[in-house]
Amino acid sequence: MSKVFITGLGFITSIGNDAASVSQSLRELKHGMALYPPFQRPDCPVKVAAPIKDFSTDSFDPEDWTYPDRYHPRRDTLRSMGPNAFYGWCAMQQAVEDARLSEADTSNEDTGLYAASGGTPGMLGHLLHRMHTQGVMRCPPLGIVASIAGTLNFNLVAHYKIKGASTGFSSACASSSHALGFAFDEISRGRQKRMFVVGAEDGNMDAILPFAGMRTLSQQTDPAKASRPFDAARDGFVGTGGATALVLESQEEVFRRGATPYCEVSGWGQASDGHNVAISHPDGSGLAAAIRHALRFTALNPADIDYINAHATSTTIGDLSEAKAIRSVFGEAGARPLVSSTKALTGHGLSLAGAMETGFCALALREGFIPGSAHITEIDPGCADLNIIQKSETKQATHVLNNSSGFGGANVAIVLRKV
Amino acid sequence: MSHEVNDNNAPASAGDAQTTETPEQALRNSLKRCSPATVEAAIKFQSSREPSLVPAIVIGIIERYAEPDLRPKLRENTDDVRLVDDLGIDSLTMMEIVILTEEVLQVQIQNDELRNLRTVGDVKIFIDCKLRGLPLPKPTRFFPIEQIAAVMPMQPPFLFLNEASVGNSGAQGKYQITGEEFFLQGHFKDNPVMPASLMLEALGQLAVFAIIEGVLPAEPGNEDKPIDPKTIYFTSCDGVRCHRVCKPGDLLTLSVKPKRVHMPLATFEGSIRVGQEKAVIAEEITLTFGYAEPAPEVTETPEVGETK
Repeated sequence: MSKVFITGLGFITSIGNDAASVSQSLRELKHGMALYPPFQRPDCPVKVAAPIKDFSTDSFDPEDWTYPDRYHPRRDTLRSMGPNAFYGWCAMQQAVEDARLSEADTSNEDTGLYAASGGTPGMLGHLLHRMHTQGVMRCPPLGIVASIAGTLNFNLVAHYKIKGASTGFSSACASSSHALGFAFDEISRGRQKRMFVVGAEDGNMDAILPFAGMRTLSQQTDPAKASRPFDAARDGFVGTGGATALVLESQEEVFRRGATPYCEVSGWGQASDGHNVAISHPDGSGLAAAIRHALRFTALNPADIDYINAHATSTTIGDLSEAKAIRSVFGEAGARPLVSSTKALTGHGLSLAGAMETGFCALALREGFIPGSAHITEIDPGCADLNIIQKSETKQATHVLNNSSGFGGANVAIVLRKV
Repeated sequence: MSHEVNDNNAPASAGDAQTTETPEQALRNSLKRCSPATVEAAIKFQSSREPSLVPAIVIGIIERYAEPDLRPKLRENTDDVRLVDDLGIDSLTMMEIVILTEEVLQVQIQNDELRNLRTVGDVKIFIDCKLRGLPLPKPTRFFPIEQIAAVMPMQPPFLFLNEASVGNSGAQGKYQITGEEFFLQGHFKDNPVMPASLMLEALGQLAVFAIIEGVLPAEPGNEDKPIDPKTIYFTSCDGVRCHRVCKPGDLLTLSVKPKRVHMPLATFEGSIRVGQEKAVIAEEITLTFGYAEPAPEVTETPEVGETK
């Protein structure tokens, strides 16, 4: 089995639109929350989101969008995109440049792309409204490919001329971790030499507010307090969007190209709760099983894991469930890895979360730091025994674990190793 | 960064805007990237239904969706400009054009009708017929070299058409100067140049092909008579101007349109372009033609020895 390495990263996130600014935000615990203008209306109790800066993608017409000067999409590129696909397109550009890939490297049968997004519900609503009010033949011709859940992989595979394996993953907040896990498998089993993994979400009103009915969104009006994983007073998650693109390559390709990897992807594990469609198992049993699978696959002991980037979204049930999962794997073995949730800074990116947080872990491993868990005023007693760090630390981890959990009780754990 | 709800397309106000905006505001919004002239023509059309406004509207909509660097082509030889080859409009962009055109002109365009629209001229005629309730014109027909050679009196190496299309108002053709043509060996020494006389020959051949394919309006009394290709000959040419030397590698785009027909003469105007450059203009190319003799009636006389 070939070893697999992360050799390129691209970020469009609420805490920065490139690796350097993301790294700085993680070290300095600078969050991306704001009072989001579209939420500031009397019928909306949710006020805070973590929007993407320097992009304006509110219009249903992509030709209205504004974005940083470094990006130059043609009209026939933009026309099939919702915001998440465009963020993904930009993050891909960064990742390709970061990994120093030529067009021949990206467009061949040995290079694939796995992606995860929830689609663009705003565009879908607009499309259906137009169909109902103006007739079935007046729907924008590319409205479907710009809105349904596969929009991210449709667009990126076409625009980056991907010739290898490609598909989209749909396990909600575990989606891009599943994408990464299966991309790892493609390379380690020798079916592909290189895989792009991209997670992206719109992060706008139509993508975030439907969660309000579930009462899972924070109603805090202070952006600095809105996302507080592991805090006793946490009251829900803060929605965000953006994209993260990762380049995974086989050891042979790393040697051939003389690339400098961020880290190795050692392996992964997954397991399901089999419990509830939207509520984490109260004991965290599914996530614990996923972590155990990942450790067994990588032949590591719990004590080998130095840091866990928790899924912890700042919901009352989910964070405690994850704390129990961590305790059941690591506490029993007497291991006390450092734990943090970077969602305190970024908000929760849904399908984007797994790829984004794996990207954060890759940065941390290369640069020798561990991001802290911000905004904790009073730690929840249910997780007080975990080694939750509230400040970022300059420390070189060797093995890092990234957790993700999604609707339906899908859980993924990914292990990264420093190189 | 702007996350303001700042226009009618913004999610927060989309539903409200669509129910409160006036028809004119809705129209302006739909045409927001079209030229002011197009928008004004569309507003005027919605109240007057004046067909003469349609070309400006349709061209304006096509221009809005064409790549910016290709738009100048629309302002030149408008009717002959091809949607796919000259303007880079793919089938999905064509659908965007159709949807906006349907919305502005309040017409319905069916998928099978779109297949026949190759040029801007085709689109204008098509929309005009739609609005006036007239029967739709015959579609532009495309012919590869095999079909051209099958009916033309001229044959290689003296056939200067690689492909042709025949529409309602004339014909277009293409000829690639390869450098392998026999006449280039002596025209000129160490400097191969397509002879001007053969450029006119190529235009004449396109006119011959246009006649064979029925581009001439039928003459009263001769409606049912087919033209005999063997009767078509060149008679005269006037107002010829050569603007550009054409050499190996140049792709000639030829165009002829009938100007007048009076048996036995048919007069065309013609032009040759290389890319956007004018190469040859001929104000009048006149050909003579005749009708095919009716086939003699066949009497069924069994051959000797034939059995039934």
